[in-house]
Amino acid sequence: MALSLPTHCSPTVAPLRRSPKPTLRRVNRRVCVASGGSPLLQVNDLRAKIVESNVEILHGVNLTVNQGEVHAIMGKNGSGKSTFAKVLVGHPDYEVTGGSVVFKGEDLLEMEPEERSLAGLFMSFQSPVEIPGVSNDEFLVMAYNARRKKLGLPELGPLECFSYLMEKLELVNMKPDFLNRNVNEGFSGGERKRNEILQLAVLGADLAILDEIDSGLDVDALRDVANAVHRILTPEKSLLMITHYRRILDLLNPTHVHVMDKGKIARTGDLSIVEAIEADGYETVSALT
Amino acid sequence: MSGTALFPAACSGVIPRRTSKGKASSVSVQSLQAFTSDPYVLELAETLEESLPSTTPLPLPLHNLRHASSQSLLSTRWPSRRDEPFRFTDLSFIRQSRIVPVPHPSPASLTTASPFPRSLRRPPLRPLLPLSPQRLSHLLSQSHPRHDLFWSLNGIAAPDVTLIHVPPNCHVDTPIHLHYTPPHATTTTTSSSASNTMHLSNPRVLVVVEKGAHVEIIEEFSKANDDDENESSYWSNAAFEAVIGEGASLTHSYIQTQSFRAAHIKWTSVRQEASSSYKLTEVSSGGKLGRHNLHIQQLGPDTVTELSTLQLSVADQTQDLHSSLVLDHPRGYSRQLHKCIVTHSQGQAVFDGNIKVNRYAQQTDAGQLTRSLLLEPRATVNVKPNLQIVADDVKCSHGAAISDLEQSQLLYFQARGIDIETARRVLIFAFGGEVIDKFPYSSIREKVRSQIKNLLDPSSDSSSF
Ligand SMILES: Nc1ncnc2c1ncn2[C@@H]1O[C@H](COP(=O)(O)OP(=O)(O)OP(=O)(O)O)[C@@H](O)[C@H]1O
Ligand SMILES: [Mg+2]
Repeated sequence: MALSLPTHCSPTVAPLRRSPKPTLRRVNRRVCVASGGSPLLQVNDLRAKIVESNVEILHGVNLTVNQGEVHAIMGKNGSGKSTFAKVLVGHPDYEVTGGSVVFKGEDLLEMEPEERSLAGLFMSFQSPVEIPGVSNDEFLVMAYNARRKKLGLPELGPLECFSYLMEKLELVNMKPDFLNRNVNEGFSGGERKRNEILQLAVLGADLAILDEIDSGLDVDALRDVANAVHRILTPEKSLLMITHYRRILDLLNPTHVHVMDKGKIARTGDLSIVEAIEADGYETVSALT
Repeated sequence: MSGTALFPAACSGVIPRRTSKGKASSVSVQSLQAFTSDPYVLELAETLEESLPSTTPLPLPLHNLRHASSQSLLSTRWPSRRDEPFRFTDLSFIRQSRIVPVPHPSPASLTTASPFPRSLRRPPLRPLLPLSPQRLSHLLSQSHPRHDLFWSLNGIAAPDVTLIHVPPNCHVDTPIHLHYTPPHATTTTTSSSASNTMHLSNPRVLVVVEKGAHVEIIEEFSKANDDDENESSYWSNAAFEAVIGEGASLTHSYIQTQSFRAAHIKWTSVRQEASSSYKLTEVSSGGKLGRHNLHIQQLGPDTVTELSTLQLSVADQTQDLHSSLVLDHPRGYSRQLHKCIVTHSQGQAVFDGNIKVNRYAQQTDAGQLTRSLLLEPRATVNVKPNLQIVADDVKCSHGAAISDLEQSQLLYFQARGIDIETARRVLIFAFGGEVIDKFPYSSIREKVRSQIKNLLDPSSDSSSF
């Protein structure tokens, strides 16, 4: 299985390759899509329940994401968006009761969560957990080395990683003292989101699932995050974002917009769906199958 | 160094390097046998007394200590599981052993970074007041109802006392490191001759921090260097007493990494005068039994007391902390953090932490928190945090939690490609790290971190997992 580390985009080169304006990405994507990206993630009739209560949350989700595509999932609170994302990364709170998920040609459901990550699947958590006693840099170095090990590269000491981490911090516009703080401990809502993107920058991904990365971000922070995502995910990488808001959609330009309702994808379309949702609400849009 | 006063002129000559029971001081145990109900204790006491070297007349303080101790032994039974303080603590393996006292306290190496603390290298301008034998005797023989059999056994059997006397307003700027290693090298008994023999040592330390003075002490009890398999069986019965004068402070680090077949019983008894501060950081991971009795008595107002302990049970072993803090004066501030990790199905941790805020201890601010991490289905922990408040104008908080590792935290590591075993190790370590981080010196923090890492990493010590 192929595994990729993020390409080093030095800040001076990147703007030349890709305009900070999202339009260029849209063009890139379209080129990609037109050239027929091969399927990266294929979800077929996925059903999952909560282990503790045995309540089924996902009632047969179908979704295909091709290489280089940008997808968005919208939907009412409690419709199962985060559950879907967490099931994909292998969260132990949920048990898959039916269906299949193929990622890069392999059965994703057979893999341990860490194998899914090493295979190139990244999810930013809607509410990242605090890890007292573990510093951010220690955590990042560990995760980065796990990736290097998988690639057969020698592991690096904390000092050897330093310049690499600094470069990534700059990419997401975070202050270096975040490295010394414990993972997410005492972070503000926006800082946690930025920290998730920092991890994405350090680890890279073939498919990044961003669960409400825009919630709780101020305007500038949202722009920082969108710019960072642009630069981290090169055109052949794929993106699946979960959101309630139009602003990030305008910045990242999804080609496919899905509406989730009661544990299923109720509708799929392009950005024009968003206008319908904003005008008529989810009830009406979900009903229009 | 044991038995000598650390500080020049403070009390050299008061306690000779080696002391013993003189004729006058030997207490006839036999004739008083009728008053006791435990012949085993008397027999043990007699063995201990006989083991003491006999030389010159015994100095008054030691004489008085032994006298008081043997008096209380007469009415003390060997504790059983029916006694509340030993309800969860099994002492039978000690009792089933043949106890062979070691005539010297276990060899303690006493080090400071420089031969003498820098502040004392030049003779003081004014002569220091030595501790009079009477005062020393008074300080040594103080007793408290909580003091138990092991306190008294140490009292009759300690061949001498290591005295650390810090004169008024003296700030000792390098830590004093007391390092104890087991006594087996000092005896002729080979390991094959008696598998049930336990060598018993009774080191005793008295710390007197005079008014306005400050000192940092590291007490370290470790297994022998060549005891990689944790094979040697011995019994260390140590006592540490401290008197902290007005406005004085004592920073105390305590590290216990005895052999997994050893019994380690230790007393720490502290008295705090007005505005004094006592900070203890403890990490205990050794011993088949590691028992720490910690007693702190407040003697005046405005004291600061901070206790942070980590117990680690990675084998068939019991870590037991019995602590009591008695506040009798206004405006005391105290924080106690107790953590324990049990990673073995036959491992156990016991915590009985009593904080008493008595009637006159108004405006006390006392906090107590205990957290336990149980990593094996059959691992056990018995925690009894307990805050007794009699005063009415106080701020007290307490909390207790027993848990396994958080699923959501483990997943967070995995979701970033880190395998679950590594994640567990890091999280367990982070849990203990909160206490380790409180050691005041980076050298100690590093050392303890690597000890704990080795104990938690199954690949480095497969026998304990
Ligand atoms: N671990 C869990 N335990 C109990 N209930 C759960 C759990 N996970 C999900 N649920 C329930 O499943 C439903 C779907 O939750 P989910 O978090 O997937 O919603 P969502 O679409 O992400 O909502 P939001 O837009 O508010 O983030 C909710 O009713 C939620 O309460
Ligand atoms: Mg959600």
